[in-house]
Amino acid sequence: MLPGFLGQIDTLIGRAEAVILAAGVLLMALNTVGNVIGRFVFQYSFFFTEEVNRILIIMITFAGIGYAARHGRHIRMSAIYDALPIRTRKVMMILITVITALTMFALCYFSIGYILKVAASGRVLPALQIPVYLIFLWVPVGFAVTGIQYALTTVKNLLEKDVYLSTHMLEGYDDNEIEV
Amino acid sequence: DSWKYAFEESLTEVQGVYATKFKEEIEKNSDNEIQLFPYGTLGESADLMEQTQAGILQFVDQSPGFTGALIPEAQVFFVPYLLPTDQKHLARFFRESKAINNDFKDLYAEQGLELLQMFPEGEVAMTTKEPVNSCEDLNEVKFRVMTNPLLVEAYKAFGATPTPLPWGEVYGSLQTNIIQGQENPTFYLYSTKLYEVTDYITYTGHSNFTTAVMANKEFFDGLSDADKKIVQDAAKAAFEHIVVYQDGLAQQELKKIKETKPSMTVTVLSEEQRSCFKDAAGDVEAKFIEMTGDRGTAILKQFKADLAATAQ
Amino acid sequence: MAIKITAIMIVLLLAGLPMMIPLLLAAFYGFYELFNGFSKMDFMVQQMLAGIRPASLIAVPMFILAAEIMTRGQSANRLIDMVMKFIGHVRGGLAVSTATACTLFGAVSGSTQATVVAVGSPLRPRMLKAGYKDSFVLALIINASDIAFLIPPSIGMIIYGVISSTSISELFIAGVGPGLLLMVLFSAYSMIYATIKKVPTEPKATWSERLDAARKAIWPLGFPVIIIGGIYGGIFSPTEAAAACVFYALVLEIAVFRSLKLIDIYQIAKSTGLITAVVFILVGAGAAFSWVISFAQIPQEILGAIGITEMGPKAVLGVISVSFFIGCMFVDPIVVILVLVPIFAPVVDAVGLDPVLVGTIITLQVAIGSATPPFGCDIFTAIAVFKRPYADVVRGILPFTIILAAVSVALIFFPQIALFARDLAFR
Ligand code: NA
Ligand code: NA
Repeated sequence: MLPGFLGQIDTLIGRAEAVILAAGVLLMALNTVGNVIGRFVFQYSFFFTEEVNRILIIMITFAGIGYAARHGRHIRMSAIYDALPIRTRKVMMILITVITALTMFALCYFSIGYILKVAASGRVLPALQIPVYLIFLWVPVGFAVTGIQYALTTVKNLLEKDVYLSTHMLEGYDDNEIEV
Repeated sequence: DSWKYAFEESLTEVQGVYATKFKEEIEKNSDNEIQLFPYGTLGESADLMEQTQAGILQFVDQSPGFTGALIPEAQVFFVPYLLPTDQKHLARFFRESKAINNDFKDLYAEQGLELLQMFPEGEVAMTTKEPVNSCEDLNEVKFRVMTNPLLVEAYKAFGATPTPLPWGEVYGSLQTNIIQGQENPTFYLYSTKLYEVTDYITYTGHSNFTTAVMANKEFFDGLSDADKKIVQDAAKAAFEHIVVYQDGLAQQELKKIKETKPSMTVTVLSEEQRSCFKDAAGDVEAKFIEMTGDRGTAILKQFKADLAATAQ
Repeated sequence: MAIKITAIMIVLLLAGLPMMIPLLLAAFYGFYELFNGFSKMDFMVQQMLAGIRPASLIAVPMFILAAEIMTRGQSANRLIDMVMKFIGHVRGGLAVSTATACTLFGAVSGSTQATVVAVGSPLRPRMLKAGYKDSFVLALIINASDIAFLIPPSIGMIIYGVISSTSISELFIAGVGPGLLLMVLFSAYSMIYATIKKVPTEPKATWSERLDAARKAIWPLGFPVIIIGGIYGGIFSPTEAAAACVFYALVLEIAVFRSLKLIDIYQIAKSTGLITAVVFILVGAGAAFSWVISFAQIPQEILGAIGITEMGPKAVLGVISVSFFIGCMFVDPIVVILVLVPIFAPVVDAVGLDPVLVGTIITLQVAIGSATPPFGCDIFTAIAVFKRPYADVVRGILPFTIILAAVSVALIFFPQIALFARDLAFR
């Protein structure tokens, strides 16, 4: 959707997000079932199962919010918005995407602050013994990517005639939309 | 001023009783007000610790088992049979111990925390689905432990299959037999209803549950000398209150359990039955030293000296 | 501060911002006020991460994954075909089956969000095909899934029992009465709805047709065996049962039915991850928001202002009901229980209320709140999974909310609905 080199990077990030989402979910299933097998077949409970799942859920959530922003899948209460005339909707959508982008960038900034704090404390995961801050590294990335998606949507709405919910999606729900 | 104090149990459990007394003392002797935040209302242990270190909370009660990630030496409390089961001896130890009142104070200070008081919450009991009379009975028993490396080590040494589970899943997992045992102090067995889903309570004397109350150090250092004294006195007064409150508490809670569930079997292991658990303690002590190095060794040594000095 | 936070939330919500934003900006404002500036904002991130940490949440993506595999493959259809051969000729039969399936699945899985997906994904298209309106279908799925809270094992009841020191076994038994009552009332409403709207029925199937359908469903019947047998049999935790279902579904659809290819699995896993992220970011934002409310002691302030300490038992129960209902409109039920139960504990004690009754009422309110607009984790989940706009998802909810409210009031005036079974078993 973006021209040239930036567009390629954007597509690449989108692909990466998709792969992380799919791999994260499947690894979670594998990890959980592995623990059951360990417990019953080998009388051995893996201490790290819960921690690995926690790492994966953070990964999925923060890769997913960017992906959801890209495809306009974040949940919103659009009842009033939908009833407005198109010109108002356009203005509203620009405001909405600006506010959302700014919130995401702020959270990106604050999450870096939080990670530095956790890193300085030297806290480690009790079972895996890896530093806790490492498992949070996704967080600012996820916020940043989401913020950029919303910022790009603002730009798109300023440039184009139609109202865009995301860089890839026109507003409105469509049953025939491409599967994401 | 208004000060915030968070702890890991509910208001009616031991930490809550301590906190309530502490609040009472502070509010009686100064114009400050204390707001209490029981279990879960501001987050879990690790969150509370970070909030205290950042000065959002002024006071926090956190068990050394959860502080292990920050202060490895605090895991010394999980070395089996290190602390006595005699509550009077324990009280003297916590009052007078150099290891607690000097060494640990310094370790907590390194983390931006002013250690105000450590206190015991009672002897830890095992609750299981099958009787436990020796280590052999723990063979192949999936035993829930806190996610703490040394505690895991201890239960491995006892012969069980240690199974770390988040607290919220313990009751359900015992009920459906995913795990067959867990350990906690007696009052906790009653208040959290764990006795409903287990049939045997066994006292092996291997551990006493200990907890620590601390303040944010920057906040504490910023207090006037008079206020510092009020805080320290309140911590001491609450400690003495707990010592009295604890006296007979385990018996009383055990009686309540027996009344609600007469089929519950309560066993206190004899010295002979304890021998294999005591043998295992050596492995765990070695593991503790391996994990904490010279500093841990020094703490352990001081612990033993203090315990001997307060034995009478 | 409470008023300003509420105002921020409502304005931003109605303006159509992504739903995480009203929660996040309200929390932002709270942190700013509480700490005179931006110095402690990093703790908002701490709480967001704390919100998505609970191990029990892992069951949600696992059940979503299993359900999507079953739905896109053949397992789900074979199961529904079998049910339809037995009840397709009854007016409203499919709706009643859906309500029952939600209750059963929710009861066992312990997760209402997982139920919305697992039962809703396969059954919604069938109900639409059978002539039900989508608004009714969505409302039925969302509300019937919430019965899960009341029927054991219920994580909400366990948390309540642990922090209020109330017998969890008694709570479990007390929840069954109101839970079944709700299921019956939802079923009755479904049949009335189907009759009024003249939803067509299928011709009555012959026994040979039924047997044939049952034979086709033999493999997929392994799912209830894994879930119900596995959890009550002590083999799995609910999360593990979900993961086991994922693998069973993979084996069935790839090897036995040959209905899915590996690339399909990739697509399904990706969409599961997307739904998970969309819902969990809201859970995280809700946790940050509730931290502010708890830290600022806003509930204590409000309860003090309405003079709860002066009230009688029934009035206290009323206040508890309303408080938990409102709380669960905004944040995750578990968080609400953790924050509010200690605040009410002294009052409950003072007026001598039965803690088991209180726990049952709280659990019911938690269920209602999760399915009632504006916020509500099950509404979010339905929007994310079924890709319907907010307005569509909540349009048909009112009749269900009326039923739920009626049962709540009934429970205050006729506590025996909950306590009868408890007294029979324990007194
Ligand atoms: Na349930
Ligand atoms: Na709601």
